[in-house]
Amino acid sequence: MISFISRRIAGAGAVCLGLTVVLFILQHMSAVDPVRILVGPSAPQSVVEEARHRLGYDQPLVVQWFHYLQGLVTGNLQTSLRTQRPVTTDLGQYLPASIELALFAIVIATVLALTLGLLTAARKKGSGLFSGGLLALSSAPTFLLALLAVLLFYSTLHWLPATGRISVDNPPTGPTGLLTVDGLLHGRLDATVDAVRHLILPATCLAMLPAVAVGRVLRSSLTTAMGSEYVRTARAKGMSNSRILFRHGLRNSAVTPLSMAGLQLGTLFAGLVIVETVFAWPGIGLYLDQSIPTADFPAIAGTTLLLGVGYVLANTAVDIIQTVLDPRIVR
Amino acid sequence: MTSLVLRARAPWTSVTRVRGRLRIGGGLLTFAIITVVALGAPLVAPYGPLEPIGRPFQPPSARTLFGTDDVGHDVFSRVLYGTRQSWASSLVVVLVGVAVGLLIGAVAGLGPRWLDEILMRVTDAFLAIPAILVAIAVAAALGPSLVHALVAISLVWWPYYARIVRGEARALRQRPHVEAAVASGISRHRVVVRHVLPGMASTLVVAASLDIGYVVLTLAGLSFLGLGAAPPTPELGAMAAQGLSYFLTAWWIPIFPALAIAVITFAANVAGDAVAARAGGGR
Repeated sequence: MISFISRRIAGAGAVCLGLTVVLFILQHMSAVDPVRILVGPSAPQSVVEEARHRLGYDQPLVVQWFHYLQGLVTGNLQTSLRTQRPVTTDLGQYLPASIELALFAIVIATVLALTLGLLTAARKKGSGLFSGGLLALSSAPTFLLALLAVLLFYSTLHWLPATGRISVDNPPTGPTGLLTVDGLLHGRLDATVDAVRHLILPATCLAMLPAVAVGRVLRSSLTTAMGSEYVRTARAKGMSNSRILFRHGLRNSAVTPLSMAGLQLGTLFAGLVIVETVFAWPGIGLYLDQSIPTADFPAIAGTTLLLGVGYVLANTAVDIIQTVLDPRIVR
Repeated sequence: MTSLVLRARAPWTSVTRVRGRLRIGGGLLTFAIITVVALGAPLVAPYGPLEPIGRPFQPPSARTLFGTDDVGHDVFSRVLYGTRQSWASSLVVVLVGVAVGLLIGAVAGLGPRWLDEILMRVTDAFLAIPAILVAIAVAAALGPSLVHALVAISLVWWPYYARIVRGEARALRQRPHVEAAVASGISRHRVVVRHVLPGMASTLVVAASLDIGYVVLTLAGLSFLGLGAAPPTPELGAMAAQGLSYFLTAWWIPIFPALAIAVITFAANVAGDAVAARAGGGR
């Protein structure tokens, strides 16, 4: 068990290291010369060369990569070409908004996936319609869902706000950066309610694709579990249907949907970029989107690295949780 | 065994089968229509994708089915051309993914042990990082253009196929007909091309056809973020993104291209299911 976990963590470290290599090579291939951007387009060639030497861009690639890694370890993700601020500072400023949105989306996705899986496995009335609708929705690109949601709930029904995180005056600041939590901590219930209202539409749009993917896997593993002999035994004992479903079915079919959920985090992160763009949500996805037209590669690489490492860590955690749920997995 | 399983399911298979046939039939029909539209966009579209045909921001009407955009282009014609482009691009990505995956997977599955080890570690590393994010970084580094977007997605798309091919190759290597071929002393190359590769064709076709819808969505996402072809080009994702700034007053500009993507994806998914069901002997 311990050796499995340490092997898994070492593997995750190697993948993260590989990601830095890929990003470093891409940065080098990028058509934009970072030195030229920093010194300005009108600077004479001698100044450019001097800056190149000072910044270490004239050293061998391996040495440059080593410096890049050294910077990463100390939390230095280079300077954004667009905002002229350290990428780490930028990401630190925008990250809480994205974390809040992603957490809400994960909660909504979990509820939707469980509903989809349980309803269809229990063959309740109307479950076919529900799962059919969800399937059709999962074929839609995230931005279509977002656009339709804004058209319906904002511009037609005027129920929910369509842009930003909050619209009350003097929103609470700190300590967590999550406006819903900060509102509660500062005793500002109005701020929390307003923040939740802003969260509903983007978080639901973000949750849709992962929820359907996980729900489908859950349904098939639940169906298998419900056809097994221990379920038949439980039925023969006279156990109630819902108790069988939750105590025997759900517990024994959690492993596959869990690993699907880990994989779907990639879909969620990609959706984050698109949803934040549509809803003008001030998170790292919007930051990435705004960095693309200006070819701000340090910012793009920093965001990709942050999301990529988050994804690898989450999936490593999923693997470890699975071995706790089902010790047979350890090879 | 198969007949036993089928008989056990008898009470409701007939109903689901009819409904399933209807769904698959509808999906294949949509799929066929989209293919025809994609091939015949220049013939079907009432206007050219780049010619302004009237006043901008005109709502949908009999003359312009999907209205006009901010320049006065006919959105309907642009959606048709965009469908064609999105279709062709997705096929290219899947074909490149299959080709590269086939090469790497076959070398890993049939080659020496150490090569297998190296290739599969690299493949696993690629599978362990979120493909779309890496594609965004690649496309951003190369600069926005359609070719770069295709390169970016193809670059992260092969590992999935490499894994499948490698597994199939390993399994096929143990099969009697391959062992017999090896024992008969024909060349290694011939064993691979004539006896191993044909055996994995159906698995690959199924995997690829189930994959196309996902590629369509991914490409649309990249193009939505401005990583596809440059603005006036009719590209569905980019059209949706450009319509974003005035979509509360002119909803038809972003909604119709986005809907087109949803229809293509849905048809591709259903058609993929049909191919898979057929290959799986009606399962």
